[in-house]
Amino acid sequence: MVTGRPLFVPVILGTARMGRMSLHAARVVTGELGKLAGVETDLIDIAKLPLPTNDAGEAIKQADFSAKMNKADALVVVSPEYNHGYSGLLKHVLDSCLKEYIHKAVGIVGVSAGPFGGTRVIQNLLPVMREIGLVTIFWDVNFSSVQKVFAEDGKLLDESYIRRIDKFLKELVWMAKTLRQGREQISLD
Amino acid sequence: MAVVARTDKMICPHCKVEMNHHCDKIVYNAGTDEAGSDPVLGGTIAEFHTCPKCGDGSSRHT
Repeated sequence: MVTGRPLFVPVILGTARMGRMSLHAARVVTGELGKLAGVETDLIDIAKLPLPTNDAGEAIKQADFSAKMNKADALVVVSPEYNHGYSGLLKHVLDSCLKEYIHKAVGIVGVSAGPFGGTRVIQNLLPVMREIGLVTIFWDVNFSSVQKVFAEDGKLLDESYIRRIDKFLKELVWMAKTLRQGREQISLD
Repeated sequence: MAVVARTDKMICPHCKVEMNHHCDKIVYNAGTDEAGSDPVLGGTIAEFHTCPKCGDGSSRHT
């Protein structure tokens, strides 16, 4: 039985680059998550996490980020595509935790200025997600030609994305509920 | 030396109830110290447990 605790599904904004359009995408997804009954969310901007760069991995675990990952039932990762890959800072942040992620759902939102909507960065993130214990969902959101999708003030210009995000979030919530049941009730032994 | 799996349950520090063991991960040590390493699997085993009451997760090495 799934308990009555609300699901916690934070959104991780995976870039610190100035002028990042992914911020608009992350805000839209966070807003749609916030409309769902029984779901709590938070936008985590990796640019604001005080992680050192003179070490890496769980040695630099940051208490607040760790607590949010531990509380989370699922994650949304919003990642731009830089040279076909994800930002180094996103990997640095993700690597700072492990037990906090195990058997939790993750959905990925790709963002690109080109026509492919971050499909290559999503493909590159999948093996990373698997290795840190996250369970990826089937549905992605791809923001292609992102400079045309949002106005300068962040207003969404193409409302068709709302339906795509809705489908994405419905699967993510289903997976989050299913995995919570498994984590809490179904034993490996 | 054989490595024996632990059978004692982890207890949630918040709720004081037995946690559910739902995942193992093999961890390969970068150093030369092989203490605790499983001779068959070649690394130590990290167990992951979740509290059925509050959902808090925890881990331990066997």
